[in-house]
Amino acid sequence: MDNFMALMEGFSVAMQPMYLLFALGGVLVGTAVGVLPGIGPAMAIALLMPITYSLDPTAAIIVFAGIYYGGMYGGSTTSILLNTPGESASVVTALEGNKMAKAGRGAAALATAALGSFVAGTIATVLLTFLAPMLAEFAVRIGPVEYVALMVVAFLTVGALLGASVLRGLASLCIGLFLALVGVDALTAQQRYTFGNPFLTDGIDVVLVAVALFAMGEALYIASRMRHGSVDVIPVSGNWRKWMKREDWRRSWKPWLRGTFIGFPIGTIPAGGADVATFVSYAAERKLAKGEDKAQFGKGAIEGVAGPESANNAAAAGVLVPLLTLGIPTTATAAIMLVAFQRYQIQPGPLLFEVEGALVWALIASLYVGNLMLLVLNLPLVGLWVKILQIPRPYLYAGILVFAALGAFSVNFTPVDVWILLIIGILGFFMRRYGYPIAPLVVGLILGPIFEDQLRRSMAISQGDPTALITSPIAAVIYATLALIFALSFWMKKRQKAMESSMAEDSVTSGGGDQARA
Amino acid sequence: MSTHPPEAQTGGVDTAAGRPIGEIIFAAGVLSLGIVGFVAGAGIKMPPSATGIGPREFPFIVSGLLIFLGTAIIIQLLRGRRGAPEEGEDVDPNAKTDWLTVAKLVGFVALHILLIVPAGWPVAAAVLFFGASWTLGSLSWWRNAVIAVVMALVLQFVFAGLLGVSLPAGFLLEGVEIFNG
Repeated sequence: MDNFMALMEGFSVAMQPMYLLFALGGVLVGTAVGVLPGIGPAMAIALLMPITYSLDPTAAIIVFAGIYYGGMYGGSTTSILLNTPGESASVVTALEGNKMAKAGRGAAALATAALGSFVAGTIATVLLTFLAPMLAEFAVRIGPVEYVALMVVAFLTVGALLGASVLRGLASLCIGLFLALVGVDALTAQQRYTFGNPFLTDGIDVVLVAVALFAMGEALYIASRMRHGSVDVIPVSGNWRKWMKREDWRRSWKPWLRGTFIGFPIGTIPAGGADVATFVSYAAERKLAKGEDKAQFGKGAIEGVAGPESANNAAAAGVLVPLLTLGIPTTATAAIMLVAFQRYQIQPGPLLFEVEGALVWALIASLYVGNLMLLVLNLPLVGLWVKILQIPRPYLYAGILVFAALGAFSVNFTPVDVWILLIIGILGFFMRRYGYPIAPLVVGLILGPIFEDQLRRSMAISQGDPTALITSPIAAVIYATLALIFALSFWMKKRQKAMESSMAEDSVTSGGGDQARA
Repeated sequence: MSTHPPEAQTGGVDTAAGRPIGEIIFAAGVLSLGIVGFVAGAGIKMPPSATGIGPREFPFIVSGLLIFLGTAIIIQLLRGRRGAPEEGEDVDPNAKTDWLTVAKLVGFVALHILLIVPAGWPVAAAVLFFGASWTLGSLSWWRNAVIAVVMALVLQFVFAGLLGVSLPAGFLLEGVEIFNG
């Protein structure tokens, strides 16, 4: 009951008009950046961090939470309505959603995505409300050895599973760990890799690296291979209240619930983020569909939008569980959220619920509020989001560059930081160009110092005996789970590849270059 | 466009022919970062602490991993297994890398940085937006210029004037109160 009271108190904070306004601003920005290709929630939060420094912590955290949830909603609009031939099946919603839109059922696809996101987001936030304090209570009791184990899990899953190539993912992670070493060692005050340069003594600013990699690097990369010509958006018409027919409701509600319960657990364990959740949900829906409905898969089945969209949102809430209770981010966006917390001297981890109880519960309450706002915003305002989707790309990416430069300059108000932005941005360009995922670098940069600290503490306790790292029972269980996660996710990736290629063949045999989207 | 990219079958690694010079250079960069890590890491002073590990061990572990990963990626590349470039909604999968565009954008960002202090942030921002939108293919230069100037002024007003972020307004707007925090 304690938690329930705390949550109610959280609501009393989040419902203050000021904070409602901040939440609204957050979800609006979040949806907009989710809709826009090339900008994700990670980039949006990174860009806004330097310029929201004057806000109070609660307001800032509420804004970031709104962006986090809003970004999940916005993405579905893009994958359903944007007609980009030849893009691969990286976004599962696009598989069926884009086909539905082409067949004139785009409105139903948008509606089931928005409603499914709301249902999943709300249920998953309830699960978060109950699970997070329990896990935090458990986490308070674990020591440095177990922390090292947990962080090894986070490193390996983020590094090896997020990208397509395991070696490149791990290389990206190690570059991040290396950059984190630059500066003064916290325990012994020795300078490391500063080469006598006073700028490097302070270490490399995480916000600067995040803005550089996510905004500058992304803009340069897209510019190098930009799709020219007008933006081709599939039109949606009619009154939004009539978008879902009775038949659509009948076919959607079960996938919503299944997607929720598939997505949330996958989000809480570091298994490669929301992509895995959407894929598992899609595969499940395809398997469970019967008769006529099954035949529609690959041609615009509503279950194939309802399930994965719900799984996506539920996973986003699930990711917050290890972030808030253990201080361990498992996606790029979660990593940036962690930086945002740290900027306000808030350290996510086992003690967060005790030390910053009021703030955490206000954050969780604002997630409920934000979800409701998103549902209300998304359906009637779809016309606005379509307009945003049609912003001419030269202006969009020029604007991203200006914002990135603004964010970098605002870190310390010196042009030197903008030079660093440019250099790391060019690094980010080459990483994308050569298939190195960005997220592991950011996670390594953020967790690196904490990891080294816990590692050295464990070794000090064990008098330098490295076997102590695996002989603690809890740590042993964590490593065993890691092995299991790896086996499972490699198996799932294999299944995903097999399914993608079989669908590619399907679309070849069913003919027509237009259907290459599968 | 009806065939799937080949990386679907080969574990995310493309098997295209030709020698990937750029990729090998990048992987060599990863490798040399590890070597620098060892060389410069040897210079980290070890305080005479009694137990546990000092400030040097973790850098050595990371450097060792960088050397291993860089080498492994180079071997993979020489065997013809290449990285899969990132995909995205605005990325044309058939387009070749347009180095001239990247160079122009980098140039405009550099110009922007050089202008911030002498000319003020709004001028520098307008130049960056104008240059970048022209580079990216928006040819109506007067429209680019109008949007660039309006956007720079709005950003200066919101962030410097309203939110108190200390962006230098520059000599053109020095006396205008709403553009100064």
